[in-house]
Amino acid sequence: MKACVQFAPMIGAREGELSAPEARALAAHLETCAKCRSLAADAEATEGMVAEVLLARASRRDFAPFVDQVMARIEAPSAWPVRWMAALRRRWKLATAAAGIAIALLAGASAFMYVRHRSAPEPEQIASLEIDSEGGNTVLQTSDGPVVLIEPDDGSGG
Amino acid sequence: MDAFRSLVVRYQRKVYAVALGIVKDADMAWDVAQDAFVRAHRSLDGFKGESSFFTWLFRIATRVSIDSLRKERPWQRDEVDEVRDVDLTDGSEGILATALGTDPRDTLLRRELADKMEAALATLSEKHRTILVLREVEGLSYEELAERLGIHKGTVMSRLFHARKKMQSALRSYAGITSTDPSGGIKFEGDVADEE
Repeated sequence: MKACVQFAPMIGAREGELSAPEARALAAHLETCAKCRSLAADAEATEGMVAEVLLARASRRDFAPFVDQVMARIEAPSAWPVRWMAALRRRWKLATAAAGIAIALLAGASAFMYVRHRSAPEPEQIASLEIDSEGGNTVLQTSDGPVVLIEPDDGSGG
Repeated sequence: MDAFRSLVVRYQRKVYAVALGIVKDADMAWDVAQDAFVRAHRSLDGFKGESSFFTWLFRIATRVSIDSLRKERPWQRDEVDEVRDVDLTDGSEGILATALGTDPRDTLLRRELADKMEAALATLSEKHRTILVLREVEGLSYEELAERLGIHKGTVMSRLFHARKKMQSALRSYAGITSTDPSGGIKFEGDVADEE
């Protein structure tokens, strides 16, 4: 009986579904076990009956309206939000990633604009003051670049 | 759209048969089969061609059938899959095979049993009906059943064993076959012993 518990579930396997050692062990068991041979005979006798009966039942039913009903359900106007949501659900990873990137970009742009607005010097505002060591000229570093202030000629040179 | 229409016409009966086998009720199976096609149409862009269209469509139909059933009867109890000694001690083995004779494909009894099959299937639990239908109507292998149902191959084999046993037991009961006599004859319910 212990062996039957092991081999009974293998009865009804199609070719190639059991490993070679399993198939050999089952065949050897069937040679010596009348109970499992009977189980195998029952399985063989009723093989295909389920499909036969269900397909016969389907064949007897009038399918004339079926395809039109399916197409009507597909084309129903109310179907588009459902389709849209279904598509969104199917692509939720992509949608989540896209939303994340969009939010990050928006946040980045906002921060950039804020910082720029707060820290950007006014046009012509002096950012630093440097003295040219060689010429003694004064150089103003402005947002538009360096401006060299040339001392006015007092006309006393010569 | 015309192409999809022709696919519906081509597969409608088989999808309906699968749904009927799982959900039992003819009207519910009709609705489930339609729903399977509608969902397949909505998911057409998700069909990657890794399996045949037929396999993909039936995967959807199976899922819709099981979901519909669980919406209707979410409380169904689960059954054990393992095969135990007690499953092999009812002494009924071989009765159907003997009754159907050497050529079971062409007997009056087979046609009678086929008439009782739907009722016999209806007595099985959802998971036993489902695995029998997938095996016999869709023709799935052990490996495919394991993948489709999310269970191990060993569980597939033992679940199929239980499903067959219960289906055969229900068939015998509906057909009124009670036992075989020592000479190999079949006894039906209501048979009386021959008087000496």
